[in-house]
Amino acid sequence: MTARSRATAITEAPDRPLTHATAEPSGWRQVRATVARHLDYGAGHRWLDLDVPGPFRAPLPGQFVELLLAPPSPVVLPRPMSVASASERSGGLTLGFLYAAIGSGTRALAALPAGAAVDVLGPLGRGFPLARPGTPLLIAGGRGVAPLLFAAEALARAGRRCEFLFGARNRARLVGLERAREQLAAMGGRLHLATDDGSEGESGDVVRLLDRRVPGFGAPLVIHSCGPHGMLAAVARWAERSGVEAHVAMESVMACGTGVCRGCPLPRSAARSTAFREAETPSLFGNREFAMCCTEGPVFNALDLDWDHIE
Amino acid sequence: MTDLTVRIGPATLRNPVLTASGTFGYGDEYAHVVDPALLGAVITKTVTLRARTGNPPQRIAETAGGMLNSIGLENVGLDRFRLEKLPRLRALGAAVIASIGGETPRDLERLLEALAAESGISGFEINFSCPNVARGGARYWAVARRLEATLRRLRPLTRLALIAKLSPDVTSIGDLAKACEQGGADALTAVNTFVGMAVDLDALRSKLGRDTGGLSGPAIKPLALARCREAAAAVRIPVIGSGGIMTGRDALEFIAVGAVAVQVGTATFVRPRAALEVLEEMRAFLEARGIRTLGEWRGCLAAEPA
Repeated sequence: MTARSRATAITEAPDRPLTHATAEPSGWRQVRATVARHLDYGAGHRWLDLDVPGPFRAPLPGQFVELLLAPPSPVVLPRPMSVASASERSGGLTLGFLYAAIGSGTRALAALPAGAAVDVLGPLGRGFPLARPGTPLLIAGGRGVAPLLFAAEALARAGRRCEFLFGARNRARLVGLERAREQLAAMGGRLHLATDDGSEGESGDVVRLLDRRVPGFGAPLVIHSCGPHGMLAAVARWAERSGVEAHVAMESVMACGTGVCRGCPLPRSAARSTAFREAETPSLFGNREFAMCCTEGPVFNALDLDWDHIE
Repeated sequence: MTDLTVRIGPATLRNPVLTASGTFGYGDEYAHVVDPALLGAVITKTVTLRARTGNPPQRIAETAGGMLNSIGLENVGLDRFRLEKLPRLRALGAAVIASIGGETPRDLERLLEALAAESGISGFEINFSCPNVARGGARYWAVARRLEATLRRLRPLTRLALIAKLSPDVTSIGDLAKACEQGGADALTAVNTFVGMAVDLDALRSKLGRDTGGLSGPAIKPLALARCREAAAAVRIPVIGSGGIMTGRDALEFIAVGAVAVQVGTATFVRPRAALEVLEEMRAFLEARGIRTLGEWRGCLAAEPA
């Protein structure tokens, strides 16, 4: 079967995103949250727990929120951040985030003590379709592990097992590794590690690890992946070659996060572009050429994107 | 209660706070958090004759105190706007100002011919100032004779308000404002975004896919305020101020220099309820000073007529 015919077949499956013929907003809200905990996770990373007051819809793994710092802030725009954990508490939710303090916005965020206020807008976008039939195969690269920790948490709660592949440059950058171990222990799932320098797990990248381990996994597999776009491109190509369904969480610079500003386009694959029917597609999503990362994603079926033109 | 109603040509708006084109979608995207009927008007995303897919990524770059955008007029096109967007807008009960954009005067005529008979539209804002398209953008339209001649052709096509949105990147915004007035515009919007650029030094290229973009946000407010004052002093028709308005006090600065109304744009990306907050802050400020009508405040710092 060619790539194009397979993409079309998936397009027509009932739960494919573009068949959601509704432009209803996702029910997001902007509320004032409070920093509950802020922890050092090593290699420049932080774990942030925010207490979010209700009513606020519980996010799904793969969804994100926009975090806005209280004035005076060094930045104007809120920062999109994927949710790494969500739990209910009385009067609302506690949302967890794993991030690297690398820009002026995230550095200012990293300095916030417990009790500080942060505005949270969300939940935004579409998450991983974890209910797809098959064995969930979670593939994380570096801090891209964040939404997959949440996915593992959700699978553990649902009593489902998964295989979890986690790769990074070196041992220190396997951030959140202990959390991943806890979630997998709860469900009896397996963790498979790889580092470029061999300091933990197998030596080499996560796609090489995938090639080696996949014969031991129970088919059919459904990949849910997040990491640097170069890694996701390799995962997408591996999945297409292997006839495995893959869903990838993408990143983009964003302004509004809600589909209004049209600021976060990702190029569609030729197959998706051809299958795209504007009349059936809410304009909160993209157009024939580009999908908006914020509303149509951030999780995409890997066949829907043009990996030759994604940076 | 301070009387905040404003007149823009034949249209009476319930208050002077409008959403800037391109920052409020087609009115319904934010409707679950902002009742658009409470605003002066919703100005839609610019509509062109045919749908546009927009510029390649990256389209957004944050800069000190502001943001650059290079969207490139991505929009659903005239047909889908009429069939899908307008009915939803009408149902929201908001005053609607349709933003239209074209590569030629003829494009604008065809858009106006198609939309003039639609119910539920209070006026048209003509986007003479998009900085992010190769054809029919700010540079093409920044010619006084072209603006005047185009508006003369558009004027007979509708009795509704015609608002000309101007670029700040011109030698004399007063001259362009006068040309629009001469051509028959009911009002002006001053200003659209400023052309700007941001460089990624590591990759040694522009941060934006199309090299330059339009700068908006708090960084441009002082620049926009001066352009707005200059435009207001040059004409008798109303001027709508726009550029970096984040608070009610920002809005009142534009009204003080002669604007009759304001547009809130980038602030909405930060706080979706920003336009309503601006309105409430304005009202509280004026009431605290015992000001009964917006007219008492308007133009208190206006420039002498040019």
